[in-house]
Amino acid sequence: MHKKRVIVVAPGRASYIRDSSNYLKNSSEKKFINLINDINKKRDINKEINILDLDRSSFRTKLHMIGKNAGPLTYACSLSDYFCIDKDRYEIVAILGNSMGWYSALAMSGSISFINGNDLIHNMSTLMDENTIGGQIIYPIVDDNWYFDESVYNDLIKKIQTESVYISILLGGYIVIGGNVDALKNLMLKLKPKGDYPFQIPYHSAFHTPLLNEITYLAKDKNNIEIFDKPKIPIIDGMGKIWTNFSTNINKLYDYTFGYQIVNPYDYTKAITVAIKEFAPDKIILLGPGNSLGAPTAQILIKENWLEMDSKESFQAIQDEKNYIISMSRRDQRLQVCK
Amino acid sequence: MISIDRSKIIDKNFIEFLSNEKLPKSKIDSLYISEDIPKDDLIGIFESQVLSRHIDLSARKYKEKGICHYTISSSGHEGNAVFGNIFPLSDMAFLHYRSGAFFLERSKKLPGSTPIFDTALSLVASKDDPISSGRHKVFGSKELNIPPQTSTIASHLPKAVGFAFSIDRGRDLKLKENVVNNDSVVLCSFGDAGINHATALSGINTASYISYMGGNVPIIFMCEDNGLGISVPTPDFWIEHNYQNKKNLKYIQSDGRNLLEMIVKVKEAEAYCRKKRSPVFFHMKTVRLMGHAGSDIETVYRSKNEIEKSEFDDPLLHSARIIIEKQLLSKDDILKLYEVNRKKVDCVFELASFRPKLKSKEEIMSSILPNKNDRTLPNTPSDQTRKTLFNKDFDRLELKHSMSKLLNYCLVDILAQYPNTVIFGEDVSRKGGVYGVTAGLVKKFGYKRVFDSPLDETSIIGFGIGFGMNGYVPIIEIQFLAYFHNAEDQLRGEASTLSFFSNRKFSNPMIIRVPGLAYQKGFGGHFHNDNSLSIFKDIPGIIVAVPSNGEDAVKMMRTAVKEAFLNQRIIIFIEPIALYNQKDLYEKKDNLWTKSYPKINENITVGEFGLFGSGNELTIISYGNGFYLSMKAKRKIEEKIHKKIKIIDLRWLTDINYSKLIKEIEQSKKILIVDECRKSGCFGESIFNNISSSINGIIKLHAAEDSFITIGDSSTYTLPSVKSIAEEGLALINA
Repeated sequence: MHKKRVIVVAPGRASYIRDSSNYLKNSSEKKFINLINDINKKRDINKEINILDLDRSSFRTKLHMIGKNAGPLTYACSLSDYFCIDKDRYEIVAILGNSMGWYSALAMSGSISFINGNDLIHNMSTLMDENTIGGQIIYPIVDDNWYFDESVYNDLIKKIQTESVYISILLGGYIVIGGNVDALKNLMLKLKPKGDYPFQIPYHSAFHTPLLNEITYLAKDKNNIEIFDKPKIPIIDGMGKIWTNFSTNINKLYDYTFGYQIVNPYDYTKAITVAIKEFAPDKIILLGPGNSLGAPTAQILIKENWLEMDSKESFQAIQDEKNYIISMSRRDQRLQVCK
Repeated sequence: MISIDRSKIIDKNFIEFLSNEKLPKSKIDSLYISEDIPKDDLIGIFESQVLSRHIDLSARKYKEKGICHYTISSSGHEGNAVFGNIFPLSDMAFLHYRSGAFFLERSKKLPGSTPIFDTALSLVASKDDPISSGRHKVFGSKELNIPPQTSTIASHLPKAVGFAFSIDRGRDLKLKENVVNNDSVVLCSFGDAGINHATALSGINTASYISYMGGNVPIIFMCEDNGLGISVPTPDFWIEHNYQNKKNLKYIQSDGRNLLEMIVKVKEAEAYCRKKRSPVFFHMKTVRLMGHAGSDIETVYRSKNEIEKSEFDDPLLHSARIIIEKQLLSKDDILKLYEVNRKKVDCVFELASFRPKLKSKEEIMSSILPNKNDRTLPNTPSDQTRKTLFNKDFDRLELKHSMSKLLNYCLVDILAQYPNTVIFGEDVSRKGGVYGVTAGLVKKFGYKRVFDSPLDETSIIGFGIGFGMNGYVPIIEIQFLAYFHNAEDQLRGEASTLSFFSNRKFSNPMIIRVPGLAYQKGFGGHFHNDNSLSIFKDIPGIIVAVPSNGEDAVKMMRTAVKEAFLNQRIIIFIEPIALYNQKDLYEKKDNLWTKSYPKINENITVGEFGLFGSGNELTIISYGNGFYLSMKAKRKIEEKIHKKIKIIDLRWLTDINYSKLIKEIEQSKKILIVDECRKSGCFGESIFNNISSSINGIIKLHAAEDSFITIGDSSTYTLPSVKSIAEEGLALINA
C-alpha cells in the first residue's frame, strides 16, 4: 500500500493546558505503558508525582506548569500520540519540534532512546526550575487574517532592541520574546494590546536567549553524549538544519542540543518551511498535547502560499477538504492517523 | 541495439552494480588510507551526490511530462560536492551548469536552505524560484554567495577573476562596501571544452598575468574535465599539457570520481589559494553521463563500449565503494539512502511543478533594472581637499577648457567624493589615457585606484563586473569604440543580464568610458573612428550617454556615477574623440566650444536633453559630433531662410523622455534627425520610429552611410557634414 508521507511535529513545554487533562487516559499501547512505568519508577525515586496521576489530576498552574512536571508530562503526551500513528499507512519522513519539542524529536527519531528522552527533558526542565532566568512573552506579528504585518514586525524588532530583550522563538505569526522580567514588563507596556496579547508564558525562563549561557555548561554536565546516536528518521532543528539518518555527526548534534539552541532563537518557522519544501509531505502531523502549533503552522503555510493556501480563509477551505494538518489533540483528526 | 535514454540505465546500474558489489576499482584509494577524513562529512558529501543525481533523473522524468525545461545534468560531475563541503559560504562561487552537487553541499552550510525545492522550481521555471524567478535554469543564491550564470560558454571567467582581484584591493583600500571577507577566495567552474573559449582564455591569462606582476588574484579555476565538448572529444592530455606549466598558475590534478583524493587535493588548493592569494588551476578529471543534455543522442557519436565504460566509472559507484570499504555504511544502507532520496526528490518535483509561473511581460521585465541601493551619497569633497588635489589647477577651474580637460577635472572630484570608485583600462594610469582624460589621477589617488589593465577588453569589462559585484563603482575605459566589439558579450551576455536573471538580487554597477566616433581629421582609420553604437541599442537596462561638449560631459559623468552608486546602473559613456580638444565652433580661436568647469553640485539628469534656438520652421535632433556640426549648420540655414531654427542635443541615447521631447517638437513643421552613426541600426532610426506617429511635421533621418571609415582626407565622406546637414535642412524646409 502506498504510504502517506508525513512530517511529525512535537510541541513545546507550555502545551499541556487545562483542556489537556486525562490526555493519556486512552493510551493503551503496551510499549507506551511500559515506558510510562519506567518513567514513573524514576519519578517515584525522585519523589515526584507520577505522570499518569499528574494527567488525571485537575489542572493547576503551580502543579502542571513547573518544569519537572510540565516537561515530562508534555513529552509523555506527545509520545502517546507518536506511538499511536499507524506506521503501516503513514511514513514519517522527518520529525521536528518546537523548543522543548526538539528533545522529543530527538527521542522519536531514535537519536536517543525514549527513556533517555524523558531523562533529558527532566534534566533540562529541572535545571530551569532551579535556575529561573527571566521569562518569555508572546506577541502576534500577523493581522486577524493571518497576513504578515511588516509594520508590526518592524516596530516589535525596534522595541526588542530598545528594551534589551531577545527573540526567543520565531513561531509562524507569533514572536516569543525572552529577557529579564523587568525588561519584559516594560516591553509589554509598550506593545499595543491585541486580544490576549502580549501574553506572558508562566513558569518559563528566557529560553533560547543569551541569558541562558550558564545553562549550556550545566546541561552538558547533566547530559552525557553517550546516550546519542544517529537518528533513524531525519530531524530538522531550530535553525532549519536537516540531520539525516546517514550523515549526522553525533558530536555536532550534542553540541547543538546543549549549546547553540539554548542561547539562540529557535526558528520554528524555518523548520516547518524546510520540512514542507525539502520533504514534500502529504500531511503534517502535530502531536499533542494541546494545539498551540496549529495556528503558527497554518500561518507559515499561508506565508509560503503552500498548496495555494494564501489566506486564513483559503487555508481553512483547503484544510477542511484535505486535512493537510492533523492535530492529534483533536479527537476527530487523531482518529484519522491512529492505528 | 543500445538504449538511447541512458539516464534510466545509469539509475538501474547503480542499484544493480551495488547490489552485486560490482563496483569500479581504484588504483589511488590506498594513497589516502591514512588521511584524516571526517567520516560523517564523507557520507554527507555522498548524500549531496545522490540528491544531485536524483534531481537529474527527475528533471528528465518531468521533461517527458512537459513540465521541466532543462536537462543538462550534473551527472558524472558530482565530485564538485567536495568544493561545496570545504569552501566556506563567504567564498563567492561562479558555477557552470553541472554544479548540482556543489550547490546541494554548500547549502548545508546555511541551515534553513531548501536547495532541492529551489532547484526544482528553477527547472520547472516557476516564478517562485528564489534566484531567477523563473527566467532561467541556474544554480544561484544570494545567501549562498552563488551569483547565477546563464552562460554556457565560459564567459563568466573574466568577472570571476575581476571579483577575486577586487577582494584584496578592497582590503588595501579599507573599503566598507566589500561584500565578502578580506581572506575570501573565488571559485569558478567550467568544462574542458569551455576552456577553449576566448573568454575563458582571457580570464585565466589575466589572472596569471596579474599574479606574475605581483598582484593578488585568489581564485580557483575548477576545470571539470569530462573529456567531451558536446560530441567533440578533448584531445588526450590537452588540459594538463596546456596548464600544468603556466606561469603563476598553480596546477593541481585530481580524480573527480574519487572522494578521498578530491578531499585531499581540494584542501590543498584551498590552503594554497587562501594563503598565497594566487590563482590555482584545479583539474578535476571526471566522466560525462547522460549525454550533453536530454536532447543529445550520445549514441550517434560514441560507441556502446565508450558509453558503458563511462557509465561504469560513475562517481556515485566510486563513492559507494569507498564508503563500504571504509565501513561507514553498508551496501543496504546505501541502497536505502539512494531510494529514500529518490522518493523525496520526486515528491518535491511534483509539488514544485504546481508552483506559479511568470504570467506577463511586466512580470518578466520587472527585474531588468537593478534594485536601488540603500547607500547614502557621500559628501562632495571640501574646498580644502579640492585645493590640495587640484593644486595649481584649482585656480584654473573657472577658465575655459575643452572636453578632455574638463572630464579630467571631473574624475578628480569623483575619485575624491566616492572612495569606492576605481579607474582602470589600457594606458589609463601613468600615461593618463590616450587622450589625457585620466592624466595625473594616479599621482593624486595612487595605483590601487587608478591602474592599467592588460591589453584585453574582455578582461577589462569582466573586471568591471567583478568589481561592481563586490561593492565598487568601477569607472573603466575601453580605449576605442571599435575595441568594444572584442568584449561585447561581457556587456551583452553578462553585465546587463545579471539583475534580470537574479531577480535583482545581484548587480554590477559600472561606468564604461569609451572614446569613440569619427571625425578625427583623417587620423586613425576605421578602428579609431568607428561610428556604430548599434551594439548598445538593444540591450535592456543600460544607459548610453554621448556628451557633445565639456560642460555637459562633466555634468553627465557626475550623474552617471550617481546612477551607478545609488541605482546600480550600467552606464556606457561615449566620449567623442573629435570633440575632446575641440575649442572653436564657427571660426578659429572663437573658443565657443570651451567651457568653464561646472560647479561641483551641477549635473544633468538622465534623459534631460539640451535645447538651442527657437522657431517652428525646423528642429534638428542630434547628439555628439552630429550636434556640434548641426550647430554650425544652424547658422547657415538661418542665414538662408532668415528665420530661427531649433536644435536639440539629446545627450542621453537611452531613457529618452519622449513625452517631453514630443512636446518640444510638436509645433515644428520639419524635423531633421542627424546621426553620425551608420544609418542601418543607428539610434536615430529608433528616435524616428518613436516620434513619427506622435507629430504632424515631416521627419527625416540624415545619418552616415553604411560604410566603414577610411583614413586620410576621405575619412569623412560617408558622414554627415555641416554642408550636408545644411542642405538636408534647407531641402526639408523647402519640401
